[in-house]
Amino acid sequence: MSAINKLYTLTDFLEVLDRTQNGPVCTQDEWNKKIIPRTVKEKVEEYHLRGTFDPENLINRDDSLADEFWKAGFSMAVEAGMLCVDTERRILFTEEELENALKSAPSELILGTGKDRVRMLHRMPEDRYPIITLFGNFGTPYDEELGPAVTAVALQSRAVDGCNSPGSPLTIHGRDIKAGTPYEVLGGMHEVQLGKAGARMAGRPGVTMQGASGVEATSLAYLGTYGTSKGSDPEGDVIPILPMTCLKTSYYLLNKTALIYNAGGIAQVSHYSMIGGYSGGPEGCAVSAIASLILCCAVHHADMPFGTVFDARDYGGSSRETLWSNSIAVQAESRNTKTLPGTSTGNCIAGPCTDMILYELAVQGIGHSVSGASYTLGLRPRMGRYPNYIGVIENWFAGETCKASCGMSRNDANEIVKSLVKKYEDRMEKPPQGKSFRELVDLRTLKPSKECFDVYNKVKKELIDLGVPL
Amino acid sequence: MGINYLYVINKKSTTNMVSKGEILEELSNSVISYDEDAVKKWAKEALDFGVDPREAIVEGLSKGIKAVGEKFHKLEIFLPEVMLAADAMKTGIGILEEKMLEKEKEEMKKNKVVIGTVVGDIHDIGKNLVSAILSVNGFEVHDLGTEVSPIKFVEEAKKMGGGTIIAMSSLMTTSRGYQADTIKRLEDTGLRDKFFVMVGGGVVNPEWAKKIGADGYGRLMDDAVVVAKKFFEERPKLPLKEPIISE
Repeated sequence: MSAINKLYTLTDFLEVLDRTQNGPVCTQDEWNKKIIPRTVKEKVEEYHLRGTFDPENLINRDDSLADEFWKAGFSMAVEAGMLCVDTERRILFTEEELENALKSAPSELILGTGKDRVRMLHRMPEDRYPIITLFGNFGTPYDEELGPAVTAVALQSRAVDGCNSPGSPLTIHGRDIKAGTPYEVLGGMHEVQLGKAGARMAGRPGVTMQGASGVEATSLAYLGTYGTSKGSDPEGDVIPILPMTCLKTSYYLLNKTALIYNAGGIAQVSHYSMIGGYSGGPEGCAVSAIASLILCCAVHHADMPFGTVFDARDYGGSSRETLWSNSIAVQAESRNTKTLPGTSTGNCIAGPCTDMILYELAVQGIGHSVSGASYTLGLRPRMGRYPNYIGVIENWFAGETCKASCGMSRNDANEIVKSLVKKYEDRMEKPPQGKSFRELVDLRTLKPSKECFDVYNKVKKELIDLGVPL
Repeated sequence: MGINYLYVINKKSTTNMVSKGEILEELSNSVISYDEDAVKKWAKEALDFGVDPREAIVEGLSKGIKAVGEKFHKLEIFLPEVMLAADAMKTGIGILEEKMLEKEKEEMKKNKVVIGTVVGDIHDIGKNLVSAILSVNGFEVHDLGTEVSPIKFVEEAKKMGGGTIIAMSSLMTTSRGYQADTIKRLEDTGLRDKFFVMVGGGVVNPEWAKKIGADGYGRLMDDAVVVAKKFFEERPKLPLKEPIISE
């Protein structure tokens, strides 16, 4: 792994830590109820963004609008900063410091090792360079004995560049894994080893992997695996760091940035703004998503920053508000930085082996690809709530759709997404549960069932008919 | 039938005459606009006017908070406004209940909820959504924040009194075990039949609720309200053999 032009320094990070100790005091309550909503509202008004959400057109096609959102997001990042919840102090930056943080983030990365390496580049809207697809089991709990198979099946498709996460084994050798205990330390290593075994079964031993993201809760899982001889490999693997909505971090999370300075490696820093939450509606969420990308670089020294949006009403990523908000945020980020902005393709409210989950993945993936995301990750059927309801052939479909959309015009993408949304939105209140991994995969041959292929082929044909070059 | 009026000196020092109906409407509107100062003012006016405090709560504050809930569902307002409106309502209740008899206070506050995100988990937005929506629906919610230990859940519930709901949120697979630990602590301290235990959060589902012996499970924020209402309406003997599920 190598990050090209990465310029962050330990001195800068120590300065961040100093600000967690000495920055202005602000309670979480004040932050949630006043600072964030007030700043978002002010920026939406100041930059004349109110009412720009267009529920009939879900992929933004107006570059100047994206640039106005960028200005609003940058201004919010300067004024709000990020809150350290442990010390209840604001980590504030000057405009110049934030500009330097963005310049310090890499514009190119090599992920994975050996022949499984992939190159990630900064992309622009409608860019033909392929988006990097990191799919697998994004945090859904599963029976530990399924571990290697879950990853191995996801990696059977070359449209999947890397494994976002091996997922969350429910147990280690039959014992529950509990946050903040030695079980978490051991569970993190267990998750990594299950994932690595799956990658070897798929014939892709050097593929990049997020490691212990399914098990980790307090950073102990990562501290126990990253850079150890049998754990995650800083040469090829990624540490995910997830600041909390909205613009909040903690010492658990900062521990992981510190770990990168000790062990080397790469930080994928994800922040979600939520429709209906502290940032308000689609316009406000786009502004705070942009601010979060900037602050993920400044606070956590993100190599792969990620400021994106999902919906507090159903925790999914496929509502009209979410699709539009993500589209404008990613376009703003890709047009105004040389960083590697990421997105999530896969907060799906439907379950595996349904046409609805494939529509959800298609609208998200197409939107992110044409808007200029450098990478995307997923996936989480039924929002990860039901153990063993894990993506199977859906990972392949998501990877293929994302790749096929690169180079597509935003106009064409918008028309396709509009058609697809109509195919599922009336089912969002009562989404189909789908089927579990054991029901869908032959655990001896690791082949998905005929039922999986039937749904996959049906929806794939519909996408081809709509103009997606699959 | 005569109409009672109260002469009110407003900020501009002009004298206005208001009726009981107008006071109740102002209380409601003050909650809708999450104006805590206005809530204080109109709650005091209500008492001066002789409005029954319970009526001021039910016909004034509660109507306002119900309207807030409706606006939130239509995405006309968002979580921070709901939280501020809930705060304003609590302030109003605090003023009005000073003039209530102890028995009346207990009557008004019988639907109590202690809520928090379990230890090992610092995520708060899902819990805050549920906390706000329960307040909007008339429950007295005591929010313990994030990283709440089983001991703290139990001790805080004891302070609120028997019949309180303990509502626990968890986003992480590895933290949801602390929901089970809280139930175990209730069992081990002989308190399991005193409290209704409700669970939710990103990795929580009906099977988990059944496995750990919870009394209720709600998938989304409105589901939490459905479960809590059902408990308070029916007051079943605890613990339940099967949890009340809403999804």
